[in-house]
Order: sequence, then structure tokens, then C-alpha cells
Amino acid sequence: MGFLGPNGAGKTTTLNMLSTLLSPSEGTAKVNGHDIAKEPDEVRRSIGYVFQDPTLDLELTGRENLDFHGRLYELDAKTRQKRIKEMLQITKLSDRADDLVKTFSGGMKRRLEIARGLLHRPKVLFLDEPTLGLDPQTRRSIWDYILGLNEQGKITIILTTHYTEEADFLCNRILIIDQGKIVALDTPEKLKARLKGDLVSLTLKETNKIDTLQQIFEQKTWVRHLDSVIDSNIHARESRTMHMMHSHGSGAIDREPMGQLSSQILQDKKHAKSNLKSELTEENENSKIRDLGPKRLNIIVDNGAHRIPEIVKIVDQAGVKLDSVELREPTLDDVFLSFTGREIRDEKGSYIEMARRFRIMRQARSTRRTK
Amino acid sequence: MVYPLSKQAVYVVLLRELKRYWRARARIISSVAQSFFFLAIFGFGLGGFIGAINNSSYLSYLAPGIIGMSLIFGSVSSGISVIFDRQFGFMKEMLVAPVSRTSIVLGKVLGGAFTASIQGVILLVVAIVMGAFTLTPIFALGAVASIGAMLLITSGFVGLGVAIGSKLDDFHAFQLISTFVLWPLFMLSGVFFPIDVVPQSLQVAMLLDPMFYGVELLRWCLQGNGTTLLGPYGWLISLIVLLAFNSLVIGLGTFLFSRAQV
Repeated sequence: MGFLGPNGAGKTTTLNMLSTLLSPSEGTAKVNGHDIAKEPDEVRRSIGYVFQDPTLDLELTGRENLDFHGRLYELDAKTRQKRIKEMLQITKLSDRADDLVKTFSGGMKRRLEIARGLLHRPKVLFLDEPTLGLDPQTRRSIWDYILGLNEQGKITIILTTHYTEEADFLCNRILIIDQGKIVALDTPEKLKARLKGDLVSLTLKETNKIDTLQQIFEQKTWVRHLDSVIDSNIHARESRTMHMMHSHGSGAIDREPMGQLSSQILQDKKHAKSNLKSELTEENENSKIRDLGPKRLNIIVDNGAHRIPEIVKIVDQAGVKLDSVELREPTLDDVFLSFTGREIRDEKGSYIEMARRFRIMRQARSTRRTK
Repeated sequence: MVYPLSKQAVYVVLLRELKRYWRARARIISSVAQSFFFLAIFGFGLGGFIGAINNSSYLSYLAPGIIGMSLIFGSVSSGISVIFDRQFGFMKEMLVAPVSRTSIVLGKVLGGAFTASIQGVILLVVAIVMGAFTLTPIFALGAVASIGAMLLITSGFVGLGVAIGSKLDDFHAFQLISTFVLWPLFMLSGVFFPIDVVPQSLQVAMLLDPMFYGVELLRWCLQGNGTTLLGPYGWLISLIVLLAFNSLVIGLGTFLFSRAQV
């Protein structure tokens, strides 16, 4: 199960509420059958949480970090030692186990955190952006590891990500969150099936005529789906409040703009032990969206290669200058786009993301200085 | 959220403090050296000029105070280290575990009290080597008692540190705390001069300083007497004040820590 959404969508906030670190401003949810507001202790016992930001004690060794965790979860000495050994082997950290964590590489730290999150055999494992900032090779090995865990069964994994390919690769079900709202929940295959066909992406030189163009294309019977794309870094959003409310809603997804969205998620494919009902709504006060308007149109058609001449002709007749045309298969990125009208990834990096990375870097540096 | 106190959790937080303390040996050395400079320079420097206080050398008057200084600085910083735990994320690891926050605070308090007291004991040995005390069987007994006093003093100040650390969200404020909390607590605790000889307004300020009672208790243990102002039961008064102070600040620390957000 994956939570997919751009930075600031509310993924981590949702996990923090589900893990009892934050109390919901309204409503409640159930994790492993326990109410997060009424039975926080049971909830905490059921979950493992691998946080987005590093949470290891750098002054302790890998083994000591795991031992600390085992004791906090009241594992007896024998079980603790056995499991620590086991987890170190699985995460391939055995030979570095007795080195201080501050000497570990980013990937090793991440693996150690995952090992720690699993040490007490949680029923539900939360992975918050498990591969953020890792190199492709490490990312791949962590992906394989997560898939392996899932195949062994007995554990429900919820991960958040803003990488669509990660969600696509790892998740049985994907929940798309944007600005605190659930916009879609389905399997990656079904989500992608929404955009069956070829994707012709038109980049225009001017933005003002896009509406006319959109109307023309909407009338064509061969157009399966149409999206206009806004560059996401043009957006500046402020003051988001997120509420979590209790509901007994089942699977249906409600797509009213400010409406209440409900979902029943988290049915693990092998052992459907966990059950979580949540309802997310969003209050968007003072939300400012400055945008310079879309300048790209994504058109889904059958047999795209043969449609391109016709499409170019239409654009030409409409008097719009075309910058470039791209033909490809739709990805989950395009699915995200069709739900939210914006691209998820923002290669230039949003302010929040930059600030966060900067903070992690600064922490890493000052760790060496202090103590 | 009410959880029973978890012994394992208290123990493991304590263990972590001890391990981290032991691994930062450079800090132990620098802190002991700093106190040693105070002891040597003021002890011998001011000592020759002041002469004896309460029939004992100035060095022997100064030693319990300097030990107290080391205790208070060590314990308050140890408590404030909750800021660092938050900054470096480790706090989340503790908070998401099924253990009560009271257990975490208690572990912190014990850990901070142990480490700061170890520092105190090292300084006590340094002071003995410097000839601050006459070695008698009674002194030996007092020295043992002083270790108990050290633990008592430090646990309160770790609690104070935790309370401050839970309220601050930024370790740049550490400097401010040092200037406006640590130094006044230290300077007013009667380390350098007896309370009996200062103007009344300063006496009032000193009596309001909890550390004053800490130093007083250490003097009773190590020198066998205290200030004339508190009289022959000064040790008892100090003990009571410290116990009251401890329950207040440890309670406050636990409360503020529990309320603090990740």
C-alpha cells in the first residue's frame, strides 16, 4: 500500500497520526484493529515506523541502536540477540554492526533503520519515503528488500513516496494524496488503465490559447483523455490544515472538489489483518495559487504515431505556435497529473524540500561538531 | 496517555546516557580541567589573600563549591540534551515506542545524575590530591555521604534541564540559558564567599538559589559544617529544600516533556 503525493500533500502527517505521534484534530482511525485515539499503546505495539528523517543515535553502534530498540519494545535478552543477529544478516550489516553509526553511509543507515523498524515484528510497517536521497543502486536494493518482506507475508507495509516509479514498483494499492485530500485509491494497473493508449504531449510556445485548443480537442472522438499541465513549481500554497475524521465509508472514491473522501484501505493481500478506515478532508484557507497558466497539453489517443500529423495540423489551424511534440506510453506520473492537474515531481525542488535537505545536511555536519 | 513505568525503558535510556558520556571522553577531560583551573587558581590565588574561612583553608572552602559548579553545569546540559535528541530525530524513535514518557524522563534524570556525579567524584579526588581536605575516618564517611548528595543535587538539575529543553526548539538558545540560568545559579550558590558576609539583598538572592542548598549540603558532608546563617541544622534545611526542589522540577520536566511535540 503506498501513499503517493507531492511534497506537503499530507503523507507524513497522516503517518504521524496513524502512529499516534500526532493527535488528529478530528475523527480517528484504526490500525491493526486498534483505535489510534483510544488505544495508542496497542497501536504502538503493532507498528514499526521508519521515519523520513534520520532517527538513529549516531554515537551508538549499529548493534546498540537495535538493542536500544529491542529493550524499548521489551523483548527479552535471548529473543533480542537472536533477532538482532537475524536482522543484521538480512540487511547485510553484520560486518559493520559494531561500528558507530556516524561512520555509516546513507544507504547503510537506511537499512539499519528498516532493520530496527522490523525488530519487534510489527504487524504494520510504516516506511516514510524509504529511498529519499539515496543513489539508484541503494534504492534498488531497498526496493528488492521491501518486496521480499511483502512476499513473506504477515506484514502490511504502508509507504509514502513522491516517486511515482517507486509506488508503481512496490505497491499493490496506491493512494494518491494531494493537498491533504485523497484523490484516488486503486492498484497501479487500474490507475494506469485510466490512461490506456498512447500519450501525445504538446508543449506550446504561448499559454493564452490553450483553452481554445483544449475545446477543439475535446470535441474529437478519438481523444480518450485530455489534460493541461501546469508546472508545479509555479504554485505557492499556504496554510494547509488537515483533518482526519472517522467514517465507516467503504471503497468508493468520491471526487467532489472539497467533499469528503472516504476509503477503506490496507487489506494486505495475504493476511488481511489490518484495517484502517480514514477520512481525509482538507480546509484550504488563504490558499494562494499563482499560476502562469498551462502551456502543455497531454492527449491520450489510440495509435499515437499516426495521429500526430492530424494533431499538429489542428494546432496549426488554431494559430498556436508549437514548441515540441512527444509521443510515449503513459506512466503513473501522467495518472497523477490527470487526477490533480499538476505534475508530481518538480525537478527543481520545492522550497520545503530544499529546506528539509538543507536541515538534514546541517544536522549531519553539526553531529560531528557537537559531543 | 498513561502507561505503567517500564523498567527496561528507564534502564535503556540510562544506559544510552552512560555510553554516550563514556564515548565523549574529551568532554570529560575538558570539563574536569576547567574545574581544576578554578580550584587551583582561585584556591591558591585568592586563598593566600583571604586566609581561612570557618577555621579551614580557602581551598577547602572552595572545593565543595567547585564540585557543585561541575555538578550543575553537567546535569543541566545533560537534561537540555533532549533538544539534541529532537534535532537529530532520535526522539521520534523513543516517542513512537510503547513506553511512557515518564519512563524516558526518569531514564534521562538517572543517566544525567550518574554522569554528572561521576564528574563530581573525579573532582573530589582531584581536590583531595591537592590537599583540600584532611584525611580522617570522619572525612571518609562524609565523602561517601557527599556522593549521595551529588546524586540528589544532579537529579533535580537534570529535571530542570529537561523542562527547559522541552520548551526550547532550537539549540542556539543554549547560550542564553547558560548566561541567564546556569551562571546565576552558580554565582549565587556561595561557591566563592560565605553568605554570612554579604549585604542582605544579595543574601535573599542567594537563599532563592536552589544550588545554594546543594553547595551547603556538600560543605556539611566534606567540611562538617555550613554557614552560620542556616545554623547547626543547615544540612537538614538544605536536604529538605533540595527534595522539594527536585520533586517540583522533575515533575515539571516530565509534564513539559510529555506535552512537547515531535
